[in-house]
Amino acid sequence: MVREFEGKTEQEAIAMAMTELQLEQDELDIEIVDAGKRGLFKKSNVRIRVYLADDLQESESSVAQEGLDEYEQQVIDFLTVLLDKMGYPGFVKITHRKEGKLALDVVSDHSSIIIGKKGKNLDAIQLIVNVYAGQLNPSVKVIIDSENYRMRHEEQLVKLAYRAAEQVKRSGRSKLLEPMNPFERRLIHTALNGIEGVTTKSEGEGLFKQVRITIDEDLPPLRKEH
Amino acid sequence: MEKDLVEYIAKSLVDQPDEVAVNVIEGEQSTILELKVAADDVGKVIGKQGRIANAVRVILSASAAKSGKHVQLEILD
Repeated sequence: MVREFEGKTEQEAIAMAMTELQLEQDELDIEIVDAGKRGLFKKSNVRIRVYLADDLQESESSVAQEGLDEYEQQVIDFLTVLLDKMGYPGFVKITHRKEGKLALDVVSDHSSIIIGKKGKNLDAIQLIVNVYAGQLNPSVKVIIDSENYRMRHEEQLVKLAYRAAEQVKRSGRSKLLEPMNPFERRLIHTALNGIEGVTTKSEGEGLFKQVRITIDEDLPPLRKEH
Repeated sequence: MEKDLVEYIAKSLVDQPDEVAVNVIEGEQSTILELKVAADDVGKVIGKQGRIANAVRVILSASAAKSGKHVQLEILD
């Protein structure tokens, strides 16, 4: 979508665009169409063209999802303000709700920093939102995602588990994976539960333990004779 | 702004939001934020094994990454 604005100066035109569209200057994609060259007798107006990303508008409207109860609205508001105060504004929408679970999706231009390295920032945001939401309704767990990071990450972990299990079977030597949180470790255990010839167990202390994949002594894999 | 961010998070987690205060100590390369809450609320902003405090620190450094400044959070008790 393209809109045009006019003003005596460039700043004035931009200010008009900002009030009209209710956006900050750094959210606007501006092109100066007419720089307002000084004519013989008077200065002509500055004309700017503002390009609006259509998906921005779309996601804005999807925030107004129908049937939000008070709890959901409060949690969404909290997260929206939190992101805003972090300096990475975005829109929050519900992806699904299940018994005891509320899944939220963050749509933002700043997704990569909101997610962070290995989802570190996303996990921290999710934790704070859960502490807040727990005061309102302790029986619901809030899951926060952006750009489908969590789903992609889960797939990656399962693939990694299969690859590591193959290596263990081939080499006969156990393999220690990098530290993971309980949720991630459970994914690995479950993925390899059905794989014959290997077993898994967690090692270490604290929240972030490491999964070790070893040859299953009771049911060793069939090794090819050469 | 980082002070605002910490204040917002702290206020939403404690029982006595009016008692939340953040003191900013501005250094050349780093900023230290001192968070003060009501005595009964200290546990709420720290959490078991410091989980909440650490999450706030992660959020804070993500936010500060924009300015390239190093921000430290200290919880006073």
